[in-house]
Amino acid sequence: MDNHYVPNLTIGPMVCQALRNHGVTAPIDVHLMVQPVDNLIGMFADAGATYITFHPDASTHVDRSLQLIRGAGCKSGLVFNPAASLEALKYVMDKVDMILLMSVNPGFGGQKFIPATLDKLREVRALIDASGLDIRLEVDGGVGPGNIAEIAAAGADTFVAGSAIFNQPDYRAVIDDMRRELASITA
Amino acid sequence: MTDFQIAPSILSADFARLGEEVDAVLAAGADIVHFDVMDNHYVPNLTIGPMVCQALRNHGVTAPIDVHLMVQPVDNLIGMFADAGATYITFHPDASTHVDRSLQLIRSAGCKSGLWTTTTCPT
Repeated sequence: MDNHYVPNLTIGPMVCQALRNHGVTAPIDVHLMVQPVDNLIGMFADAGATYITFHPDASTHVDRSLQLIRGAGCKSGLVFNPAASLEALKYVMDKVDMILLMSVNPGFGGQKFIPATLDKLREVRALIDASGLDIRLEVDGGVGPGNIAEIAAAGADTFVAGSAIFNQPDYRAVIDDMRRELASITA
Repeated sequence: MTDFQIAPSILSADFARLGEEVDAVLAAGADIVHFDVMDNHYVPNLTIGPMVCQALRNHGVTAPIDVHLMVQPVDNLIGMFADAGATYITFHPDASTHVDRSLQLIRSAGCKSGLWTTTTCPT
């Protein structure tokens, strides 16, 4: 967050690089809530990002920004705010590896899941399935063990959870709860 | 005798172990924690925001934290950093439309205020 696209400022590429230097080998999924995006795409790619996603309304040239991400060797994605139209997807489906739907308004942690996201997930799931492309469908905002099954049933396959995990003393217990909930819908 | 103070800048610390790094540098005799904030607008990089400052306070850091705002505009972040436990908040006068008001905002939030000059700025 850059305190321009959203009213908060969080962490930049040096922190991503520090995690890589620390020995983190898991994928790092960088969600840019910034405007403009192109400069930071390059910096985060150099800092070890795996996925880099941004909001189409934050880039003057969405197609070019997606190409920049893939050209830097990262996986690309677009992010849609709760009230944002999916229109941009129509022309760039073949250039995204991930679609992220915000289920809260971006800026701060600890917010409540916006239920209208479920219908939007179903809509994007249908688009992905119809495209036949390998695209992850991620959701971010107010996700926890209590609603993860319903969210997965609507089509999401990747779940961002902040306060639901980090505000608990036992991270493994929460993650196990989430996996148990997910197993209940696939069984 | 002048009261000299050493202010290590955490921009050069290991962000993956920031709490330990700050503890270590204070234990080694540093006086102030210098905290550089960049927004990718006023300067072409993005660093760390108020949540990181709050995390250091929650970690137990009681030394003064000297927040250098390399951001534009400044007023919104002044309030957020004051709430996050900043001691000093400094900004660049060319980054605020109303420099005097921004300075008053800092003091009225209970922090110490300051101005920077960049090398090409008239002083």
